[in-house]
Amino acid sequence: MPTCEECKNFFSWEDDPRKGDCVERAVDPRQAYYKAKPVNADQDSADCSSFQKK
Amino acid sequence: MGEPAITIQEHEKRQEWWWAAEKKRSDRLDYLRKAMWKKGAIGGLYPPGLYVDLERPVLQTEKARELESSPDPYVIKFAKILAHVLDTKTIFITDHSQLVGYLGSLPNTITWDPTLAAILNHEVMNDPSAIPEPEEESLKIITDVTDYWAGKSDLDKILPYMDLDDSMKVLSGAIGWGVPLSRGGYSGKDYEYIMTGARAFEDIIEELDRRIDEADEKAHEPGATKEISDLYDKMNMWEAMKITLEASIRYAKRYARLARIIAENYETDDKRKEELLQIAEVCERVPAKPPRTLQESLQYDLFIQLFSRNEAIEGAWPARPDYYHGSYYEKQVNVDKTLTKEEALDLIGEFLIRAAEVSQYKPKWTREGLQGIEGTWVWTLGGVKKDGSDACNGMTIAFLQASRLVRIANPTFAFRWHPRVSDEVMREVFECIRQGLGYPSMRNDPVLIANAMNWHGHPIEEARTWAHQACMSPAPCTKHGFQPMRMANATVNCAKIIEYVFTSGFDNVVNMQIGAETPDAATFTEYDQVFDAWVTQMKTVFSILVRPVNRARILAPKMTPRPFLSAVSERSVESGLDVCEPSISRGNAWITAFTWVENADSLAAIKKLVFDEKKYTMAEIKEALASDWEGYEEMRLDFVKNAPKWGNDDDYVDDVMLDCLHEAAAFSRELKCPSGNNWPILPENVSGNIHYANIVGALPNGRRLGDALYDGGISPGPGLDKKGPTAVLKSCSKIDHISDGRAFLLNQRLSPTQLAGEKGYQLWKTYMKTWADLGLDHVQFNCVSDETLKNAQRDPEKYQEVIVRVAGYSAHFVDISRKTQDNIIQRTVQGLG
Repeated sequence: MPTCEECKNFFSWEDDPRKGDCVERAVDPRQAYYKAKPVNADQDSADCSSFQKK
Repeated sequence: MGEPAITIQEHEKRQEWWWAAEKKRSDRLDYLRKAMWKKGAIGGLYPPGLYVDLERPVLQTEKARELESSPDPYVIKFAKILAHVLDTKTIFITDHSQLVGYLGSLPNTITWDPTLAAILNHEVMNDPSAIPEPEEESLKIITDVTDYWAGKSDLDKILPYMDLDDSMKVLSGAIGWGVPLSRGGYSGKDYEYIMTGARAFEDIIEELDRRIDEADEKAHEPGATKEISDLYDKMNMWEAMKITLEASIRYAKRYARLARIIAENYETDDKRKEELLQIAEVCERVPAKPPRTLQESLQYDLFIQLFSRNEAIEGAWPARPDYYHGSYYEKQVNVDKTLTKEEALDLIGEFLIRAAEVSQYKPKWTREGLQGIEGTWVWTLGGVKKDGSDACNGMTIAFLQASRLVRIANPTFAFRWHPRVSDEVMREVFECIRQGLGYPSMRNDPVLIANAMNWHGHPIEEARTWAHQACMSPAPCTKHGFQPMRMANATVNCAKIIEYVFTSGFDNVVNMQIGAETPDAATFTEYDQVFDAWVTQMKTVFSILVRPVNRARILAPKMTPRPFLSAVSERSVESGLDVCEPSISRGNAWITAFTWVENADSLAAIKKLVFDEKKYTMAEIKEALASDWEGYEEMRLDFVKNAPKWGNDDDYVDDVMLDCLHEAAAFSRELKCPSGNNWPILPENVSGNIHYANIVGALPNGRRLGDALYDGGISPGPGLDKKGPTAVLKSCSKIDHISDGRAFLLNQRLSPTQLAGEKGYQLWKTYMKTWADLGLDHVQFNCVSDETLKNAQRDPEKYQEVIVRVAGYSAHFVDISRKTQDNIIQRTVQGLG
């Protein structure tokens, strides 16, 4: 089972490595941006369409 | 070969201001302006591409479920829900941006707060235009969230404690709009506490800790007095405030972390890397610590506004940004020279864009009443300092210049004019008006300061700090003077007053008795009887709308608290009481009087045609109105054409207007807010004149059901002011703008051709001198030609960026309904000079 911490988009927190930010590039019809959402390092990412193995 | 490029000067000569702005602004501002998702509804519906953000309601609901079995008091649970949203929502940083933060999870989302009102949640469920795909999945989420908050939302909680009769009349939508909720209107801020650089969130947290420790020590002294018992409530409130402040600091640090991640892992451009690291530094600094630079100051302000909207729907954005950011601009641009004017304009332009993007899901009646915009973000510029000296500074000019570069319709500005404003600043103000922005609106500072002292007893130093609460109403930005809760249902559809005179208070549109059961108008034999009935109806309608607001304000501290707003308010940090607690507020209530002038024109028509000339009987008018003038066209035209109309310097009708205002003003001093202060009226309209067109029945000024109402405030009916701009000003000057009401909106249209060049400026300046000499408190201008507006109706795609002044706000012309567009075109274009 792949987990978030194995993903290229995962950036762990210095003060709590069990958690991190899932950072992704996004482009909508008007603008481009980077977005981030907190995730757990051991979160199952089997169904995540953005998962990229480190 | 293509056509030669058109120069900026050529665009300006052709009054193609949008194209000129596009060429004048920096590449960054151009990108950010075009990247912006406009959130204002068009025809009551959100534009394509936007959708309701389901992330936030899911987060709120999951946390609320988790806390159900917690022993925490409600205010702490509520604070924890707010903190959970800030800790876990998706955040983003747009390319080229220097300021960060948005309410929703993505740029094209509209946030939905399901904790406010079940009726709002049901609107979301039934709004197919805003539900995200896949619809079935979204509907499941919406249903779950809606079911959970049914019976638990603020409105559900307070309604059982309200007068049922009043509630039914308010919710009928006939006489007012909005619901009496402390988290459902908008709030001023104690800017004198939070925006002077003297403190920031860590300082407040330190003070809260100290107060909690002191209270805790005292609470364990022997003896269970009421004072000791109250300390427990205060400790809970202080704890809730602290939770929200700490979460806010963490939220800013999430942006700092993201900015660093982008800079260190993705960004290849060195300049952008530097900017991202700068963003990180800024977000590590504010809101935890006081700002040191203009960027930090703007970011700090933006965070405060977002946190306040994390807690409540805010339909307005009271602010005085040149005053509170001015010292940072001055230091960096003029003293230290660490920022160029152009760099400052980039930051300020982006600040306007970030504000324009803010969006919260609102009920359809609000979207119809505020066509084309998200809310009335009317920011206050200019004015005087607390000592009475001129407050204009470099930032005042920079805001005016930035607004012409980004040309957004919301926020807009209102300018506090006073006799010491420099010519340089006045020219910048004029340039915005000339370039068709419809703003700033002009406010007479000496008059409004005197007005604030007269109506609400604000001391002069506090009155001088005033900022617009929404379109029009001033309130100080001080500890006891700022307003924590404005509930829009103290907004009166005043045309109903004269309508009810003829129906003995029965509302034929919503089919219920709303007004007073005054005697049958057909039996009236003297004008005084008509006027007496009008006064009775006015008092009845005002009271129906004010009572629920007063009740909700009293219930708010316990039932619908605002821990974050309390945390940034000195009076609450000091007292441990919710910011809405009436005993710590001086009070600054007002009744917004929509559709007001119809009363004066109708009463004057009755007085002249029925009682002076005896051409008709009251029974005939009653019958004609009941028939919506059908079968009475000749008579209707007589009432339209041969009755005197407000705005022509005609004492006959102007005296009627004064009689109405004097009665309302006298009653305003009988109505009291929970702080014991007065409820003066404030005639203005937003686009309520269109919203109410199908709700107000036929009127004695010749209007039929469905016709647009007048555009509001004390503006004459469109096309009915036939004697020129000075006559309009003279009519308006018969009103005492200090003691007859809280403020009076006046719309005027000027010819863009006439305002061209230096001559145009001098003409406008002369007009403004007359306006000031006559003691009016407000005027705002539309300065777009009929030709442009008609072209925009024919070919909206080509005229996407034409902005007009609707009433207390501006909007893109193509975003407002056809009826409102027509109403603006019908307004008289005043020739100056």
